[in-house]
Order: sequence, then C-alpha cells, then structure tokens
Amino acid sequence: MSRHVSEWLNAYHDGELHGSQLQHVEAHLAECDMCQAELESLQGLSSLLQEVPAPTFPPARRFAAQVSLRLPHKQTIVPGKQILEIGWWMISVGILGAWVFISTSSVISDILSAAGNLGLLSSFSGWLAFGPSSNIYLSATLGQFGLLSGNGLNWAETTETLTRISLPQIGLQISIAVLYLSWMAIWWARHTRQGRGQLLES
Amino acid sequence: MGSLLATGEIELVTQAQRGDRNAFSELVCIHAQGVTNLIYRMCGNVQIAEDAAQEAFVQAWLHLSFYRPQTSLRNWLYRIAVNAATDILRKEKRILPNAIEDLPLRDSHPGPEALLFQTERTALIQKAIFSLPDASRAVLVLREYEEMSYHEIADTLDIPVGTVMSRLNYARKILKEKLEQSLFSQVEVDHVQAR
Repeated sequence: MSRHVSEWLNAYHDGELHGSQLQHVEAHLAECDMCQAELESLQGLSSLLQEVPAPTFPPARRFAAQVSLRLPHKQTIVPGKQILEIGWWMISVGILGAWVFISTSSVISDILSAAGNLGLLSSFSGWLAFGPSSNIYLSATLGQFGLLSGNGLNWAETTETLTRISLPQIGLQISIAVLYLSWMAIWWARHTRQGRGQLLES
Repeated sequence: MGSLLATGEIELVTQAQRGDRNAFSELVCIHAQGVTNLIYRMCGNVQIAEDAAQEAFVQAWLHLSFYRPQTSLRNWLYRIAVNAATDILRKEKRILPNAIEDLPLRDSHPGPEALLFQTERTALIQKAIFSLPDASRAVLVLREYEEMSYHEIADTLDIPVGTVMSRLNYARKILKEKLEQSLFSQVEVDHVQAR
C-alpha cells in the first residue's frame, strides 16, 4: 500500500486535485480504509456545516437604499489619476514659468545692453558683447563691401536686429500664449463636462 | 465562476466609477446577499452583519476607482467584506451570536423535540465556527458557504494558495475535534433526558 494521503484529502474533497495527483489519491483511497474514513469524516463535517442556514436579510432594494444614504459624495482618486491631475496642473505652471523666464531674460538682456551702450559696464566689456554690432552680420558684411551705405545700411541693420533678436522672442511669446490658451481651453472643456456629469447625477 | 463580469455589470462598474450612485446601487443589489451572508458567517449576528455589510459597501464606493474590471468584482467586494467583519470583531470583542431562538433552522416546521435538538445543534456548530481564528474562519466560510475555489479564496484574501490549504486544513481539524466533543455530549445529554 502507498503512503497515506491525509495531506491531500481536503483538496480532494474540495475537487481541487487534478491529473496524476488525483489518480494517486483515488488509487490510495480504493485500498486504504483509514484514509477513506478520514475522507468520510470531512464529508460529514461539510454536511454538518450546511445545517446552519443563512438568516433572512432585508430585501436587496431596501438594503441598497440604506447603503445609498450612507454614501459620501466624494470617491477616493486612485494614485495614477492623482499623478495625472498633478501633471496636468504642472503643465500650466511650466508654461507660466517658461514665459516668466523668457520675459525676465529679455528685460535683463535689454537693460544690460542699454547699460553697455552707455558705457556703464565698460569693465565687463571684455566678456560681455553689447550693441548691435554683435548681432549684425549680413548688413555689416554688405556695408564692408560697399554694397550698402547711409540710410540703406541703417535700415538693413535695424531690420536684421529685428529679425535676429526680436522676432524669435515674439515667436516664443506667441507660442507660449498659444500653449497657455490651449491649456485653458482644455481645462474649461473638462470642467464643463465634469459639471454636466454632476448635474446629470444629481 | 466569479472571475468574469457580465457585460451589464461591467457597464455598471464603469458608470459607478464615474460617480453614478444609481449604478452603484444596482451593484449593491446584485451583491448585497452574498456580502451580508459572508459577514454573518464571520460574526454570527444578523444586526451587526447588516451594519458591517453596509459599511463594506460604503468602503467599496470610496475605493471603487482602485477596482480593475479585469478582476472579479465579487472577490474584490468579499475582500472588503472580510476586512469589515474582522474590523468589527476586533472593535466589539464580545459580539454575542444571535439568541438561540433566533437561529435559522433548516426544517421550518419541526416538532418541539426536533426543534430543540435542531436549535441546540445549530448553536453548537456556530459556536465551534466562531472559536476559530479569524483568518482560518474566513477561509472556511469562503469555501464551505460561498463554495469558492482555492484560487478564488487566494485572490479574495490576497494570500498564496498554499496558505489557503493550510488554513482550511487547520480549520477543519479544529472543527472536527470540537464538534465531535460537543455533539457527542449533546447526544449523551439527550439520551439521559430521554430516560
């Protein structure tokens, strides 16, 4: 006779054994009275436990109404959603931060440039290059070759300064404004949708 | 098997996760009986079971966004129910099971002697179940009364299948010992009284 299968009897009784394990237990039970008796005692215990029927509870509708009265308004937000929500607000903070940084840099740059032109920062002139000459390449080259002179050269220098310095800044400012307005539009759309959802629920 | 949600139930869960209270109420209706029964089997008192079941559903509502519809809603609710039952048993250390005359009976129209025998027997079985440690009792209740598979129990209680098996073996061993003693003495008492 093979080894007793006591440790597998619960699983066998609950229909949790399969394949070779099941065959092994069944083969052992066929020849072992002790394990067979143990299995019968497990079956008896299950029948005994079923003698305690469940009481009658109130109808499900009434129970659901009672639960409904106890429900708080807010549900807990999952961490993933919280991270998304934080990320969403960080976008606007990032856009505003970029705008503040670019504007501040521009103002500081203008101040330093003006101070440099007035000769107030002469001691730093070695490493600070101010004035239109540092940003004007094409018009200066054209002037050197005598292709431009007088008002034409001045006009070309002004245009080049505007193109090289001001236009990228204006472009950046416009991009930031568009980004921020888009964010505002999406926020407004989400807010309106949520509001409508809450209205429908109430 | 409780791991698959019906399409209607998935829809209700999705709506409830968006904050729809009516959808959640429908889910409560579907699972009220199972959750209340489970808690009753854990604590043995009808009123406390109803109250704890309501609390379990409130917790389910609060944490519904954590539920993933790929898993079984019943198992998820049962986990909350077992926790609610364990909490209430911890808070109210001396929960008194329902009075013996309030115990439900299998035979609804027994004779006076059979009634007495049946109620006493039911009380003994319940007493033996409540003497088990909470963890073993939860596994036993899920297996014997909710007829869950070992994998479902493991999923519900978030424990390994091996632990389910060992807790179930332990619970049945203790129950057999206790019931053999108490039912034997009950038979003896009845025999003496009959004489």
